[in-house]
Amino acid sequence: MSRRAVMIRLTALIMLLAFISAPNLFAPVFEPLTTNNAPAIYNQGNLLFLTMAHLGTVFSAALASTLVAVLLGVLVTRPSGVEFLPLSRSLVSIGQTFPPVAVLAIAVPLVGFGEKPTLIALFLYGLLPIFENTLTGLTQVSPLTLDAAKGMGMGPTRRLYEVELPLALPVILAGIRLSVVINLGTATIGSTVAAKGLGEVIIAGLQSNNTAFILQGGLVVALLAVLIHDGLMMFERLLVRRLGLGPAAA
Amino acid sequence: MIEIERLTKRYGDTTVVDDVSFGVEEGTITVVVGTSGAGKSTLLRMINRLVEPTSGRVLIDGQDTRSIPEDDLRHRIGYVIQGYGLFPHRTVAQNIATVPRLLGWDRKRIADRIEELLDLYQLDPAEFATKFPHELSGGQQQRVGVARALAARPELLLMDEPFGALDPVIRAKAQDDLLAIQRRLRATIVLVTHDMEEAFHLGDRIAVMDQARLIQYGPPAELLTRPAEAFVERLVGTADRPFRLLSLAKVEDALEPGLAEGEPVAASGTLYEALSRLMWCGRQDLPVADGTGSVIGRVSITGILAYGRSA
Ligand SMILES: Nc1ncnc2c1ncn2[C@@H]1O[C@H](COP(=O)(O)OP(=O)(O)OP(=O)(O)O)[C@@H](O)[C@H]1O
Ligand SMILES: [Mg+2]
Repeated sequence: MSRRAVMIRLTALIMLLAFISAPNLFAPVFEPLTTNNAPAIYNQGNLLFLTMAHLGTVFSAALASTLVAVLLGVLVTRPSGVEFLPLSRSLVSIGQTFPPVAVLAIAVPLVGFGEKPTLIALFLYGLLPIFENTLTGLTQVSPLTLDAAKGMGMGPTRRLYEVELPLALPVILAGIRLSVVINLGTATIGSTVAAKGLGEVIIAGLQSNNTAFILQGGLVVALLAVLIHDGLMMFERLLVRRLGLGPAAA
Repeated sequence: MIEIERLTKRYGDTTVVDDVSFGVEEGTITVVVGTSGAGKSTLLRMINRLVEPTSGRVLIDGQDTRSIPEDDLRHRIGYVIQGYGLFPHRTVAQNIATVPRLLGWDRKRIADRIEELLDLYQLDPAEFATKFPHELSGGQQQRVGVARALAARPELLLMDEPFGALDPVIRAKAQDDLLAIQRRLRATIVLVTHDMEEAFHLGDRIAVMDQARLIQYGPPAELLTRPAEAFVERLVGTADRPFRLLSLAKVEDALEPGLAEGEPVAASGTLYEALSRLMWCGRQDLPVADGTGSVIGRVSITGILAYGRSA
């Protein structure tokens, strides 16, 4: 990353932190967007708390998606699991094509309001990128490398942990990053079923016709997405370099 | 001693290795040559059971390989493939350490072995141990591939076109290095190639395969003087047969009594080299010296030509 790129991100991070911890400092910026003396800054809850709750939901869902998707990806690339590949592909794709709102509608009667239905929706929505990338990562490992590993007497488990997974790791991580970033935005719908999160700010804005609220909610989510995306990408690059998988520029 | 007994491999109706038997003496290099698709790689891979034979068996020092657990067997047999298959996420040292680590050697012993092998291959440990494969040249990767296969002192080294990806100059050097190391370690090697030059250069014995069958097995000179089939004759090339023979024969094979002028040639050198020297310095004959440097006779152009004709 160039110096300038780093500076821009650093500034964004500082602004974001300042805004969620002391939003009232920014009141003058948002005042022009309000009418009828409505509050310029979201005042129905603590932004810092909502941000934390939002991140908590997204990362818990990502953790669950990662565990399931990677496990599934490993299973269907083993000789004994190949026959389940088409089936698991369809299932995971359905998870992605089924709108998260519809998942909420189905889940609420089953598990009640709150965080649970949101977690389920995000979990399903986030499976596909991780699963597909796990498949790509594992199948792109050079057959030559695997042949050498087998020829030197590495058993299947060792080959998985010492060769296949490390070599697939960068691609799997990219899938997780994608999943997290998509779900940072998607998680806002959780607020329709009373999950704590930044969606609350946007919905409050919609209900009271307060553009300032909508903008605040949207901006915080967008900044989080951009910064987390870049953060994860930096981490991936570092890892690739540590694993010796190519020049840092990769 | 490796004994290959009636090895056969069928995929469906096609037989890719058909009833092949031969023995490999300890400390020798056996080269398997043949055209593409002849079944060479399949034969090699049946030795370490990467391919399960349809029938037949392989004995290592009299022990049937089927009685040894697959992974244990492969720890005892080094394996080098074309393209080497180095682990891209592991350093040179870690790559070489693979089998010793699987065998549970302690750190010190592994570190010593890595250093020993890198030295053997003239790769400075300080510089190369921590490099990753993508930071190495093709020739260096090849050497690391062989070093890795040799790491746990295997009883047998299998090499499948180990020099196939190298340019001619590096290739010749790699072949000479392999010969030097093989003589030093007294390693037993089975090497697959489709390059006849390579087979003659490296092989103590050559196995010629065609269409799944082993059609001749013997020392290089025998392939030249008594080719089993027209196919072998075509493969070794009839036109330059005398030259190949000269490059297999030692100067002492055409030693004549008497004295000659000039710089002596070594008795252990090949007749090919001697002829080349004679032509270059424009003489009819040159003295021959043994290992200690004392002259034991002479070698002449007429003598060498007579030897070549006798083939
Ligand atoms: N797993 C397999 N299933 C079906 N056929 C196979 C399989 N492996 C090899 N064969 C066939 O067996 C024949 C011999 O293959 P092999 O790889 O042993 O040849 P080779 O002599 O090593 O050739 P090359 O010089 O091209 O490497 C080929 O016709 C190949 O298509
Ligand atoms: Mg082959």
